[in-house]
Amino acid sequence: MAGPRYIADPANALTSVALDGLTVLFHAPSGMTHIVASPAPEILDALRAGPADAAELLRRLRARFEFDGDEAIHARLGELEAAGLVRRA
Amino acid sequence: MSGTDDSNAFVPSRRTVLVLGAAAASTVVTVRPALAQTAGSVLNCEIPVPGPHAGGQYIAPDGSLVAPGTPGAAPPLTRPLRGEEVKQLLRSGSTPAGVDPSSAQAYANYIRRLQAGMSGFTCYASLQMPR
Repeated sequence: MAGPRYIADPANALTSVALDGLTVLFHAPSGMTHIVASPAPEILDALRAGPADAAELLRRLRARFEFDGDEAIHARLGELEAAGLVRRA
Repeated sequence: MSGTDDSNAFVPSRRTVLVLGAAAASTVVTVRPALAQTAGSVLNCEIPVPGPHAGGQYIAPDGSLVAPGTPGAAPPLTRPLRGEEVKQLLRSGSTPAGVDPSSAQAYANYIRRLQAGMSGFTCYASLQMPR
């Protein structure tokens, strides 16, 4: 069963500053600033390759990273959607 | 790098471990815009009517200060008005709690005549700023 597909704004919509394990993001379209921890930056980066549902996103992430606990991807996407950093495609 | 096989140049030799985290663990904190906090402060600032410089004086309908007991003038308010109350008073004419509605316009005009240096001016000026 395919879930919702998500998309992120292009990289030029975000100003990103790494801060010792955290990342501060200024999202220009909304004017909001967010402090995010891993894996949020990695998810945003993976979504810039194009819209993806959770399964596709996990495939993209797995090509670059090792991880367990696939089910948490839904919670991470929910947070990013609530913050306005990703939206449904 | 010439002479080497770099066909796998973009594949890291040691893959990074990514922690997706527990479902309940938040990884995003949104910083409220400074303007939102400023707006909250503005709505809680206070304007004395009249200010301490004019203690005891009455307020004429046009907002000017007049001698105590002047016919048609409003007495000083017993408490300062909060920014939120002033905003409602100036925009919609709604009378703050405990204020005589027949005097509300005089108080509103007094506030409109506030100038830099007078008590409450900063609060009034802040209310005028676009948000």
